[in-house]
Amino acid sequence: MNEHERIREQMSLAAAGALDASEERELSQHLASCADCNAEFEGWRELGAGLRRLPTPQAPAALVERTRAALVAITIERREQRSTQRTMVWLILFAWTTILATWPVLKLISSGAASALDLNFVQTWHVLIGITIFGWVAAGAAAVFLGLRHRQERRLA
Amino acid sequence: MAVDSEAVRLRRGDPEVLVSLLERYQHRLYRFLMRMVHDPATAEDLFQQTWLRVAENARRYDPSRPLEPWLFSIARNAAIDYLRRVRPESLDETLPSGDAKIDMIAGAQPSAVDVMMGQQRSSRLADALGELTPMYCEVVTLRFEEEMKLDEIAEVLEIPLSTVKTRLRRALDALRGKLEHRLPGGELPGWGPQ
Repeated sequence: MNEHERIREQMSLAAAGALDASEERELSQHLASCADCNAEFEGWRELGAGLRRLPTPQAPAALVERTRAALVAITIERREQRSTQRTMVWLILFAWTTILATWPVLKLISSGAASALDLNFVQTWHVLIGITIFGWVAAGAAAVFLGLRHRQERRLA
Repeated sequence: MAVDSEAVRLRRGDPEVLVSLLERYQHRLYRFLMRMVHDPATAEDLFQQTWLRVAENARRYDPSRPLEPWLFSIARNAAIDYLRRVRPESLDETLPSGDAKIDMIAGAQPSAVDVMMGQQRSSRLADALGELTPMYCEVVTLRFEEEMKLDEIAEVLEIPLSTVKTRLRRALDALRGKLEHRLPGGELPGWGPQ
């Protein structure tokens, strides 16, 4: 590839303003001394100028208005969804905490703090553990169910 | 600073920021989509899809990165998804020129000579641009119409900078070839001010 061919390969990028400083300098120096390449480059410059001046298709006002309304609606909906999700998480946490809190209360009511090592109370502990696990699984299942239902509603909307 | 605060509000899903972005970028995003799909009805659908995706992905926007490439990459992905689904061949092959009539405004204030000579040239150039594959069309429109820097284009297209340069060069070569093919003498006419 001779110098002219190499320079001509750079012309399209030069018209796009995409050459680095050294390539730009090399091109300018060559164009200053080569009439043929200069004429060729003129075509590229004009093409670049034409592209920059192409008419701009306008977004129709009705489309922009529809999009604006949809954007506002969707952001409000998202906020409500996030708020509902936060409320759900707090409710589940509250339910779990309440279940855990019943342990010491039941212990005190049933036979006092000294009965912690009592064989009967150990059985009570097993019951409480069972209730707690059941409560957590039920709350988890409810959360999954609500989540699936919520997703289905969104799909239908 | 104002842009940063806007970015943070965008992440929070502030509807005012979304509407303000819509107002600011409406014509540019619509133009970009029109260049990609060459059909006003499709461009309108994609325009709406783009903004809904912007709203949905606002929380994932990284405020440390520039906003424009992010917006255009969402629009571009919507257009590419559409083309893959409806016209998969268009991603590889040359598209026919679109004849759709749409409202246009001039990109810059035209001179009297531009009015006389420019319309036909612009029309030919727009037709030739419409015949490029979306892959070439997008890089040309992002560079010349959106005036994006090469690294911003690389971000929108998710390709390396060197590939942007290669693609831009090939796109312009193809565009020039199409223009010369349309002209009786096979020569590129003057596109600049006469």
